[in-house]
Amino acid sequence: MGGIRNRIRELRGDHSMTQQELADQIGVTRQTVIAIELDKYSPSLEVAFRIATIFAVPLEQVFQYQPASSNKKGS
Amino acid sequence: MANLSYEERSLYGVLVVNLAVYLPYLFLSRYSNSLTRIAGAMVLLMALQILSQAVIAVATRNRLQDERDKQIRLYGYRAGYIAFTGLVGTGLSLLWLWAAYGHLDPMRLAIQFLSVLFGTIVLADIARVVTQLIAHRRPV
Repeated sequence: MGGIRNRIRELRGDHSMTQQELADQIGVTRQTVIAIELDKYSPSLEVAFRIATIFAVPLEQVFQYQPASSNKKGS
Repeated sequence: MANLSYEERSLYGVLVVNLAVYLPYLFLSRYSNSLTRIAGAMVLLMALQILSQAVIAVATRNRLQDERDKQIRLYGYRAGYIAFTGLVGTGLSLLWLWAAYGHLDPMRLAIQFLSVLFGTIVLADIARVVTQLIAHRRPV
């Protein structure tokens, strides 16, 4: 199963930051942060960059794209 | 309630007012209906919506709405539109059949038409709100 995974919960823990604090800094609601952390919602590119900027890490360290496994036999 | 965003509180407000006005209206107009009752229900619905939204806005300090709220709103409007078109088609067809088989007084057709239209609008709005509330708690 593919999709976009993220390390926001882990990074938030490293920075001792609550979901509400992160939400306030990136300008979204706490419910949106919860949905992003649970991989239930993929944020816009702008919000993704804001999150990476707050944690001072490159975008790819926050979000990882995992393509859906397409192991076709004989190809 | 404390865990709900402003958007969700606002939606619950709309849902409660819709149900609080439409269910008694439906109960009272089971056997007979009048233009006054339909107009009264519409005015009451609008007044209570304005009042409830004002109270929710005043009671909620953080009224932030973000990109996810906007996306969920679009899902809601789509569901509301589908419900509206489906209900209008069904409601008017039933009304036409009812009239065609002589079960409806032609003099009261306008009132029944208004009643169906009012019901359709309220039910479509409920469909919109419920879709949005579900989307707020599920993946979108």
